[in-house]
Amino acid sequence: MTESFSQNSLREMASRWLPQHRIPSRFRIHRDTTNIFRVEYDDVVVLGGKPYLIRHNAKELRFGLEDEVKFWVKRAIDLRNGNLKIMKLVFYENFMSRIGGIEFECFRSPKKEARILDLVSGHKNFMHGYSIQDEKDNLIRILDFIRGKPLFTYVENMELGHEAYFYGQFQGILDHFFECVQAIRFLHEHGEKHGDIRRDHILIDRESGHYRWIDFDFNYRHRENIYGYDLFGLGNVLVFLVGKGDWLLPDLEKQNHPVLSTLREEDVNIVFKNRVVNLKKIYPYIPESLNRVLMHFSKGANWFYENTAQLLEDLGEFRNAA
Amino acid sequence: MSGEEKFSYIKNILIAVDESENARRAVSYVAQLVGSLEGFKVTVLHVIPQPEEDFFKTSIEKEKWCSQYREKVDAMLEGYRQILLRAGFHPHDVSVRSPFRYCPSMAACILAERDETEYGTLVVGRQGLSRSEEFIFGSISSKIVSHARNCTVWVVE
Repeated sequence: MTESFSQNSLREMASRWLPQHRIPSRFRIHRDTTNIFRVEYDDVVVLGGKPYLIRHNAKELRFGLEDEVKFWVKRAIDLRNGNLKIMKLVFYENFMSRIGGIEFECFRSPKKEARILDLVSGHKNFMHGYSIQDEKDNLIRILDFIRGKPLFTYVENMELGHEAYFYGQFQGILDHFFECVQAIRFLHEHGEKHGDIRRDHILIDRESGHYRWIDFDFNYRHRENIYGYDLFGLGNVLVFLVGKGDWLLPDLEKQNHPVLSTLREEDVNIVFKNRVVNLKKIYPYIPESLNRVLMHFSKGANWFYENTAQLLEDLGEFRNAA
Repeated sequence: MSGEEKFSYIKNILIAVDESENARRAVSYVAQLVGSLEGFKVTVLHVIPQPEEDFFKTSIEKEKWCSQYREKVDAMLEGYRQILLRAGFHPHDVSVRSPFRYCPSMAACILAERDETEYGTLVVGRQGLSRSEEFIFGSISSKIVSHARNCTVWVVE
């Protein structure tokens, strides 16, 4: 579609959604987004005949480090209706990632994210949106903006001791997380990986209350177990939720925590050697059936989950008993 | 009939390889163990995993990658074939195979090849993964050992 917009018509549309002083005097209009650095604040990107006014670049949390600006991900306003969108421009990246001494090849793929957006359309536990090509065939993803906090900030910011959290809040959170694991099973059943399962990639939708996975453009070159890295990510999120945060050995040492004398090598995360997984040693009231699930992600595990069905079955056992 | 005579074993050996040192050891092991014996046939197999679409920006890039990979595999398999011939195998008794397959699990693909060819013995090299690597990415040899049916598996250290 080659619909053209005059400066006046764009100003008129923008004035419906922005205060007068925020409306630029002249809009730069893009139909080709190949050079992502040329697409800037206050520019308009026209896709499929729809004008999107570009706002800020998105940022990604990097735990313990300054947030990283994702210059290919823009907040945008659909000027026809004022809806807030996330616009992901095409940015290919291919690099070796390293976790706990293990190297593996990672890459970003707009095609993968576009495919998954189609697959999860209408699924309550995923972000929604659509993909569209600009005039140079760049595959851009237009995502609905989700109003709500990341799951991890919601949990971390609860002003509750662990015991009150565990008995008062955890069951409800686990019910939602269980749905998130089912959602990942849904992806796997359709031959797709999430690819970047982290605790900041689940948002709690403020309107519906649903937990929703975001960011599907990341992929990794799998080896034997295609979904192993996704499962590892699910385990890390689960341990975080059960512990109401991560328990790191240096933090325990700083506190001279009594549990230190009882911790063994097999009680830590199988990859992150300073993260405690055997949380029952810190919080003895954690039921064995739940702690057993956590221990499948520990250095002492003698059997690893191969698929989400196995994880769901074990979590289901705990939920049914609770 | 004695117990030993009840069973008749197929003297066909399928060696699943890649370009790793472990795979080379697996080939050398078979060469040294049975190279001078009569009646054995060996196939050296490399399953070419169909690469994920997502990995390439364009289909031209993908085609280029596939053709380069195919060339590399042909050279590798020829190298392994030569090891077997030098150990005494007759050229008629050594073959190579490199099918192109969609492979969410390489172990499953290798076992599917074994099932199609009905070879009696499947040989793989041990990858020597750490526990954490095996946890995240899985081990081909472990999965083959767990899932193989109707054949003997040799895992060469």
